[in-house]
Amino acid sequence: MSEIRVLGEYVVLTDRRYTETDEWVKVEGDIVIVGVTDYAQKKLKDIVGVVFEEPGKKVSKGDVVAELESIKSRGEIYAPVAGEIVEVNTRLEEEPDLINSDPYGEGWLVKIKPNNISDVEKLLTPEQYAKHIEKREKS
Amino acid sequence: MTLLKSPLHDVHVELKASFGEFASWQMPLTYTSGIKEHLAVRENAGIFDISHMGRIIVKGDESLTFLQKLVPKDLSEVPPGYMSGPTAFLNENAGFKDDVMLYNMGNKWLIVCNAVNREKILGWLNHWKTKWGANVEIKDETFNIAMLALQGPNSAKYMEEIGLNTVLDLQMLQFKTNVESKYGALFLVSRSGWTGEDGFEILGKPEVVGRIFKELVEKGVTPAGLAARDTLRLEMGFVLYGHDIDENITPIEARYWVWTPGKKGYVGYEALIKKLKKGVDRIRIGLKMKKKVKAIPREGDKIVIEGVEVGTITSGNYSPTLKRGIAMGYINSRHALIGLGVEVNIRGRFYPGKLSDFPLYKKG
Repeated sequence: MSEIRVLGEYVVLTDRRYTETDEWVKVEGDIVIVGVTDYAQKKLKDIVGVVFEEPGKKVSKGDVVAELESIKSRGEIYAPVAGEIVEVNTRLEEEPDLINSDPYGEGWLVKIKPNNISDVEKLLTPEQYAKHIEKREKS
Repeated sequence: MTLLKSPLHDVHVELKASFGEFASWQMPLTYTSGIKEHLAVRENAGIFDISHMGRIIVKGDESLTFLQKLVPKDLSEVPPGYMSGPTAFLNENAGFKDDVMLYNMGNKWLIVCNAVNREKILGWLNHWKTKWGANVEIKDETFNIAMLALQGPNSAKYMEEIGLNTVLDLQMLQFKTNVESKYGALFLVSRSGWTGEDGFEILGKPEVVGRIFKELVEKGVTPAGLAARDTLRLEMGFVLYGHDIDENITPIEARYWVWTPGKKGYVGYEALIKKLKKGVDRIRIGLKMKKKVKAIPREGDKIVIEGVEVGTITSGNYSPTLKRGIAMGYINSRHALIGLGVEVNIRGRFYPGKLSDFPLYKKG
């Protein structure tokens, strides 16, 4: 799997889309898997707890689907597309640090069945997201 | 606004610290992980740069009588070479101007205050100096002296390893001045800290203190940032100014024993006694969340009993030692029942916990 390394530190994978609020979105059939980016987990550090919205819940784009608790602060995870939450990664309830150790894999957060799968194409491309990180790091 | 930087800033950059803003200072938050740094302090040793704290010296023949009129602790009970233990400057309503530590250096007193209050305390001291015509000299040494805290059960072993043998016999809250190190003399070394562990605080010229910091790290001490410092103090139930105490909270509500019973005549005395006689409506209390709760209580979250809001969290975080959320806050004194099951409203959801006394974590 190819990746972009931003500022020599933050990994952005090229097989998925991104949001300005640091979620990644990967299409798998007619659902999308959502997680937080390597950049976000490196900023939050020490993730110690995850609180999910219930599966079955209908969400609009931008609604909170999960909250991450870290030693530093509390972070919200937003729905990148409108749809229905179909699954949450319950493994994180016991092992929240998977988000730190494997943000793009085992540390995934929720699966959403989008109302319109083509909404994903409106999200940031890996290149656009990489620039978005760079801009914030340099400001 | 330009942030102040520790004189040891370059050392932290070299150690790849991630920085954060704290009371107008840019200080290391973590080096690797706040949890690892926290556990290193509980199990071995960690080293903190706490140069952001204020260091003010009061000297002159009248320094003792001057300070006696400003703090509620009886300083005549503090022998030379000892620290006062936590005390405070109070306003006329007995609210906290700051909580501070005073060091009796014989002919002068060192005040270590919170970074956020340094300028306020300098102003407060100068205000009373003028008002009383006190013959004292007040000098801010914050930027001339750096300050470290070596904390953890193996602290003494590491002090010995770097050749600081002369301080190993110090008792808790005792200090020595002009301590020789291989890099030059240190201004002061005390046996003290803010983590509940054994440890030493080391004050001296930045170039000397910086080399000691680096050597301790080379010997195996974990560099630790302010994130770990915060979770460590929270486990012990130690207050953080601006969060758990402020100008509107007295030591009585905070259950912060910064005064000597029977001492009279200091600023805030009348208000403190009046409040003692009357009793208080709210008191500071600890809280432990049930272990399965994944949400962490934070400042501003409400404590709820049977649907009724009875208190507010002032500090909360994850406890790396207890592996659950812990907090402190203020609760209506009629509901301050240790052990009572309560709920905390965290973003509109209610999570179970119970009221606990301090420290929230006890060794062994």
